[in-house]
Parts: sequence; C-alpha cells; structure tokens
Amino acid sequence: MTGHERAGGTRPSGRWPIGQREPGHAHPVSGSAPSWAGRRIGIGAALGRVALALAFAFGSLALGAGYWQVIESDNLSNSGDDAAVIAASRNVLRGEIFDRDGVRLAWNKLDKNDEPYRVYASDALSGVLGYSTRQFGTSGLENAWNAQLSGVVSADPLRELTRKFQADPSDPEALRTTLVLQLQEAAVQALGRTRGAVVMLDPRTGEVLALASTPDYDASAVSNPDTSAKTFDQLRRDNRAPLLPRATQGLYVPGSSFKIVTSMAALGSGAISPATTYADQPRSEKNGWLIDGYRVRDAHHLFTGNTVLDYRQAIEVSCNIYFAQTGVRTGGEALAGYAGRLGFGAALPFDLPTEVSQVTNGGGPLPGGFADRVELANAAYGQAEVLVTPLQMALAAATIANDGTLMRPHLVLEATGKAGTTTIGPSAIGQVVAPGIAHEIAAAMRLAVNGDWGRFFTAGAAVRGLVVAGKSGTAELGSGQPHSWFVGFAPYDNPQVAIAVLVEHSGGGNVKASPIAGQLFRAWRTWTNG
Amino acid sequence: MTAAPVTAGLRAVGREARRLRITPRFRGRELTLLVIVAIALIVGDLSLGATRLLKEAQLAGDQPPPDLAVLAAPAILVIYLIGLFAVHGALVLAGRRTDQILLPTVGLLGGIGLLLMIRLPQDLAGRLGGLAQTQLLWLVIGLTIVVLLAIAVRNDVWLRRYKYTWAAVGVGLLLLTFVFGRDINGARLSLTIGPFSGQPSELLKVILVVFLAGYLSENRPLLQEESTRLGPFRLPPLPYLAPMVAMWAIALGIVIVQRDLGAALLFFAVFLLLLYVSTARFSFVVLGLAAFVVGAGLLYFVFDHVRTRIDIWVDPFADPTGAGFQVVQALHAFARGGLIGTGLGAGLPSIAGRPPIPALHTDFPFAALGEELGLVGILAVLGLYLVLVERGLRIASAAQDEFRAILAAGLSLVIGVQAFIIAAGNLKLIPLTGITLPFVSYGGSSLLANSVIVGMLIALSERTREPLPPPRRPGRIRRLLDRGAA
Repeated sequence: MTGHERAGGTRPSGRWPIGQREPGHAHPVSGSAPSWAGRRIGIGAALGRVALALAFAFGSLALGAGYWQVIESDNLSNSGDDAAVIAASRNVLRGEIFDRDGVRLAWNKLDKNDEPYRVYASDALSGVLGYSTRQFGTSGLENAWNAQLSGVVSADPLRELTRKFQADPSDPEALRTTLVLQLQEAAVQALGRTRGAVVMLDPRTGEVLALASTPDYDASAVSNPDTSAKTFDQLRRDNRAPLLPRATQGLYVPGSSFKIVTSMAALGSGAISPATTYADQPRSEKNGWLIDGYRVRDAHHLFTGNTVLDYRQAIEVSCNIYFAQTGVRTGGEALAGYAGRLGFGAALPFDLPTEVSQVTNGGGPLPGGFADRVELANAAYGQAEVLVTPLQMALAAATIANDGTLMRPHLVLEATGKAGTTTIGPSAIGQVVAPGIAHEIAAAMRLAVNGDWGRFFTAGAAVRGLVVAGKSGTAELGSGQPHSWFVGFAPYDNPQVAIAVLVEHSGGGNVKASPIAGQLFRAWRTWTNG
Repeated sequence: MTAAPVTAGLRAVGREARRLRITPRFRGRELTLLVIVAIALIVGDLSLGATRLLKEAQLAGDQPPPDLAVLAAPAILVIYLIGLFAVHGALVLAGRRTDQILLPTVGLLGGIGLLLMIRLPQDLAGRLGGLAQTQLLWLVIGLTIVVLLAIAVRNDVWLRRYKYTWAAVGVGLLLLTFVFGRDINGARLSLTIGPFSGQPSELLKVILVVFLAGYLSENRPLLQEESTRLGPFRLPPLPYLAPMVAMWAIALGIVIVQRDLGAALLFFAVFLLLLYVSTARFSFVVLGLAAFVVGAGLLYFVFDHVRTRIDIWVDPFADPTGAGFQVVQALHAFARGGLIGTGLGAGLPSIAGRPPIPALHTDFPFAALGEELGLVGILAVLGLYLVLVERGLRIASAAQDEFRAILAAGLSLVIGVQAFIIAAGNLKLIPLTGITLPFVSYGGSSLLANSVIVGMLIALSERTREPLPPPRRPGRIRRLLDRGAA
C-alpha cells in the first residue's frame, strides 16, 4: 500500500490492473494492523486503519458515557431539572382547601396518566385561590401556600430526590381558610358582568371572609391538563384581564372613600376637631374653593345651602371643599404618616402578594412628598395621585370598626398535615388612631349611610334591621366613567364585618357600589344567622 | 406421540431436500450464540416483568406480589425468538458457508430494542397494537429480508453492472423527498406514497454504498494517480475528483433541503472512509475534512437550524427547559443510570405518562439504555456494534475482488458510523442529529434498510469460491444484452 511505499521512500508509479496485487502489501505495515490486513487485495491495510479509527471513535463514546454516568452522575441527578425530581413533584397529591365552615373549595382528580390535577368548587374562587397547573405554575393562594399544599417542605434537592424512594414521600397539608364560600359567590354574583372587586373581612381578627375579583374564570379548566393550554391562552389574551386579582393587585383612584383615611390623619394629628368648620365653605360651594390658583369644586350645595358643615356633616354629604381645606391644614407629613400606619407605601403583610397603595407619587418638596398644596388638597378627598387597592380600603374601614386597631389580614386558619395542625391566630399590626377618634369617624360614616342627607348619596348600602356605617366614593378619572366605591362596616354597635366594594368605570358610588355593599351585608347576615 | 411418524416425517423431509438438492450445513457457532442471546433476552424480559409488578403494587399501595417471575409481553418476545431461530434454520438448510456471528449480534441488538419498545408507553407510536407490536412486525419483516438475501444472493452482477442506474435511483429518491417529502419537526425526512411512508435516506445509504463500491473499484487506479498538485497535496486528475465534489454537494443539499443533518453526516463520513479504503490516500481524508469544515461553517452562518443545533451542543444547559431540553434530559438519563443502571423498566420517570425525553424511541434509545442498563449495558451495546463492523471488515478483507471488498466494508461502516453519530449525539460528544440507532431504534425504514445490509453482508461472506465476473471492458453490456436477446 501507499503507506509502506512512502515509508520506503517510493510512491506508486502508476495504475494497477484490476485484480492484480500491489507490490509490498504482503507484509503488514506495523504491529497495529490486524492479521487479516493486506492479504488478498490492496485495501487490507487501509481497512485495518479504518477499523482502528472506528475503534478509537467507539472508545471515545465509552469515555463520554463514563463521564456522564460516573463523574457527572451525582451532580446531574441532584439538580432540580432532573426528570425524576420533576416527576416526583407532579405525582404529589396537593392538600385540599376548605372554607372556614369546612366546605371543600379545591381538591384533586386523576388524569388518564394517573397524575393528579386540581379542581375547584366555584369560578368565584379564582380571584383568591388562583390556579395550580403543571404547565403554567401556580397563582393566588395555591402559589402563596405552594410549599405546604404540595408537601415540598425541603428546598434541598438531595432530599427531594431521596423522597421518591420512600413509601410515602410527601406530607401535603390541607388548608382551612378564613373564606366563606357563600359570601365569595354572593360577591361575584353581585358584581355581575362588571369588572370589580369585593373584600369582606372580620375587623376584629383580620380574617378575610371574601376576596372577589371579576371577571372570574374557570380555574378548573386552567388546571385540567386537557384544557389547560387553550384556556390559559384565552385568559391571557382577554383584554378584560381576568387573571388580574383586582382585590389585591388592582390599583385604583379611591375618590371620596379616601376621606376616611384623611379623617384619621386630621383627627388623629389634632389638625381638626369634630367641631371644626370652615366659614367660607358654603360660599365656595357655588364657585369652588380657590387654592394657589386651582378651584376645588363640589356638587352638593343644592342640599346644604348656606349650612356651615362640621366634620360629621362633611362626611355625610362628602364635602370636597371641607376635606381639601382639612388636608391642607393637616399637612402632607401627617396624611402620609397615618396612611403609612394603615399599610400605604409598602406591600401589605398578607398571604397574597399586593400592590402598594400610595397617597402621592412622592419626591415633591412638601412634607410627605407632595408636589404642592393643590396636590395635597386634591389628595385629601381621594383624587390627585392617590392610588389604592380594594384590600387596603377594606383595612381602613376595618381599622375604624375595630376601635382604631389594624389587624393583620389573613386567609388561612389551619394547615393540617400528617405531622399535625398548625393554627394561625389573629395578630394586631398596630393602633392607627385612638378609639375615641375611631368612634367619631364611625359615627360620621353611620350618618353617611343613614342620615337625611347621606341617604341620598349612599342609600343602597342601608339594610333594614342592620345599622351600616360606610363611605361611598366616585373616583373621577381623566376619561371614561368614574370608578364606583363603597367602604364600610356593620353592625355599627358591634362591628363584625368590614367591606370594600369597587366597580370599575360604572359611575357614582351610589349608582353601583353602594347597592352591592347592601346586598352583601344582607348575605353576611344570612350567613351569620344561618 | 410415537417415534414412527416422526422418523417417517424426517425421512420425507430428507427426500424432499435431496430432490431440491439442499445440503444442510450445521452452523454450530451461530446456534450457540443464538441460545445465549435468547437466554439474555428472556432474563431481560423477566427483569422487566418483575419491575412492572413491583411498580404497580407500589402505585396501588399494595404489598409486592409473591411471584415476580413473570415475562413482560411474552408473546412478542417468543415470536421474535422463534423468528431468530427460524432464520438460523433457513441458513442451515441453505447450506452456504456464510458468517455465523452477524445473525446473533444483530439478533441481540434487535431484541434489546424490542425490550425497550415493550417497556415504553405503547401509544408513543405504531399503527398496530402499539409500539412493541409494530416494532415486532418490522423486525420479523427485517429477518425475512436477511434470510432471503443471505440465501438468494449468489451473484453480484446486478449490483456492480448497474452502478449508475443505482446512483440514478438514489438521486431520484432524493429528489422525490425534496419535492414530496413531509416536514416532521422541521426536517423533511419522510416520504409518503399511497399507503406507504418511509425515510428514503435509510434506503439511500445502501444505494450509496453500492454505487461507491462500483465507482471506486473501477476507478481506483485513476484515483491513485497524482498528476495534479494543490499546495502540499498531490491529487489525481481533476475530473476524477468530481464524485467527491458531487458527494459534498449532495450532503450539503440534504442538510439544506431536508434539514437532515444526521444523514448528511453519515453519507459524507462513509464516502470519505470508502475513498480512503480504496485509495489508501490520507490526503483525500484531509481534503474531505477541510471541505466538511468549510461546508459546516457555511451552514452554521447561513441556516438557523444548523446554528441552533450547534449552539445547543455547545451549551445545552443555557436553556435546559427550552431548546436544550432533549439533550439535557438525555444527559440526566445517563446520569441517573450510573454504573449499573436502574434496571429495565425502573428508569425513565414518567411525566404525564410520557418518558422525560421526547422522541426517545427513535432518537434517544441509547440514552434510555444508558439509564436502565447503566454504563455496563451501553458498553456491551457499543461492543456489539464493534463486533458487527469487525465482521464486515473481515468479510471485506477476505473478498475476492475490490468491488465486493468495498461493498462489504461500506455496508458495515454505514452501521458503525451511524451508531457512532447517534450515540455521540446522545452523549453530547457531537451535535445531536436525528438519526436512528441501527436495529435498536423504533422505525420500519431503518430496520428494513439495516436488514438489507446484514443480509448482503452474510451473502458476501460466503467462503466457497465462485468465479468472478470477467473484467469489464467497454461494450461488455452491449454484448451481454445481445446475448440475452439471441
């Protein structure tokens, strides 16, 4: 072969007739060539080298296999990407979720591969429980309590891996929530086809009775592997944003409902007393109250005429001019400070993630970060740059109902696993205002629902046989219909339920939110009496 | 049953054999090896059956059943083993002095693949009762092809005379796929004509080897000539480089039009190896590799799918749940297997009733074997392929002329190189290409084409001397045709 010829210093000089032997190939090149190389025809040695090359190639395969199967074996098998770890987590039967009365809200079914998926009792729960899917992860309470529900207590992948070899690897916990399914459903039903949110909670304990967001969606269809992708895609494309949990993550202009926050700051800081009046207020009702070149206007002068309003009357008729002046007198620092004690300026300490409510964008030269006195005056009656979540407004109402003490809102009463039951009791966040001041604001809110003037504005919230206190709000927006608000509590003498109702772009507070609140107070009474 | 009818029956068979001039030849080595193969496969199937029972009991929360010695899908395994021994019987009856190692080797590989198909979810693929039944059908058809070719092919004139016809058939097949091929997963691999569908590139690799054997054996002297100089290289007359350039172009075309990187790589590698085998000129290999690097570089910068493959290869962990998913999960499978494996049926954790690696039954059986049989198991599987190639090259070196030598070498190298390409892709030694693991992967086209190869190799291995066809001279075909007409 050419190989030897080169070694011998010569090259093949021409063509060999087919079938004729080449010279020299009777002797193998070296010891490496197999014995059968170069025997009959001139390609034996080349075959030998090809065989050798292939043997090397397969040797490299053996080395590669050894690298992954021995050297890298532990590293790879212990990573979270490993299919064994993924499969183990998919086969876990998540703990069931119950309402406070033991009604089952979420449980599991097995698909055709015997892998579990989530089923929910009602679409109305979608805004609070969220969903749990294989493909799209989890949201809502399913996300917040994922570790306990799935029993994946250990974040250590090594323990994760060994768990699959145990007879019963996981300890998923069942949750008893603070929710009341019938109230949750009543809230979603009352909101109807509108976009909005309802928060109902017990002001004494912070236990959330209902946390509704509309439009709701079929979370069971999102979790069912057969319909998951299609449903989730539709929900994501839906421009009504059904996946947004509005009660906790929707930010809205509060309008007049914010006056209860301004009240806490003004009365709490001593800037005004319940008897405070503004002499120029009746006159300003006609042409607006002028501050730094801006006119704050009002809409109730037809009723009140020349009456000089005191604090309670100002709440009853929702006087913007009274609160604009009060805001300026209170000052940005106290307003922002008291709002901060209620939870403004930071995510709320809650089971679910919340958007941050604010009284101003901040960064302005005035105390509290207000840009000027005009912004402060407008913020005092819930306009300007004030943005709130419905949950935040419910907490404000609950604080007034609970003698000025803010309780930490929470969604879970008990988590029960094989290891036992963990109970989550009430805890106070702090005293926002003194009880006397809370009582004064509560009395004003009672007038706003039941007073001769207030009835006109907030009539729908009143319930026969139940004294309701509250404050409506009409959040004027740059364009479109205003948001409609109601915040309040009941019964007035012994508050047991606080509420915040928001209906997006639906008109004045009396038009939409107040009647919904009234409906839900009745539903609440049915539930407590039942 | 009494002995009389049996003896009478045997006598009748003997008479019939004499009438047909059949002289059976005992194939002891083949029989011994086949018995070992059968024992290995039965043990494997028992292990699979026991693992299944244990898993079911664990799922149901029951105690493990007392009797675990149960075969998984016994009918499928028994039919396959009967098929193997039937082929052996037919070869014995045929009485040819042919290779006795190839059949047991291929039989074990096919059997391991069949066990894997029994073990995987049956609804992964297959029109019959599922994955395993369909694979069994193709294996039986494949064995039939092996035995038909091994017995019937005694003359290679029809191969060597019509090499350009074969080349034309190959090119036609390629063009058909270009035009009518169906796109599956972005690659145009599959051709459907009427009720039949298949992957033409599998058949093409056989045709390619036949053509190359004809072309290279005929033009070997010319290719060895060194009349052209290109830098440090001495090259044969330029016109004889044409097929090399054509091969390069065809490989590129397959990548560009069919997006079939695996087949292109296989064709080009086999071509280079055969060129080297027939000329023993290393400079060809260097030139070929240079052309490969240039071509690969071009493709990398021009075509997204090539770039994606390469990028995934460089760092599959950059996107472990997206682009790199398959490769990463395959590496995880190897890692879970470790040294001795999880055991058949105990690996491949099921996610949504599916094994964790997509296209496991066609593209990743090597990773599946790596997990369930461990490093030990896949070293054995690699060894089986080396045995196959060694037998093929041995047949080549013992061949009576260059055509048969190059043909035998080419046929065995196709299997060896293909096994290397997909195994190396699974192990992230080279970029992953969608190509089957010969005899193990699920799929009719692949099994049939590889059966053709084995059948031809066995036929080529016959040691009885048969006169070679006379050297070819111009006008020979003409005269042959004339004689036929006379």
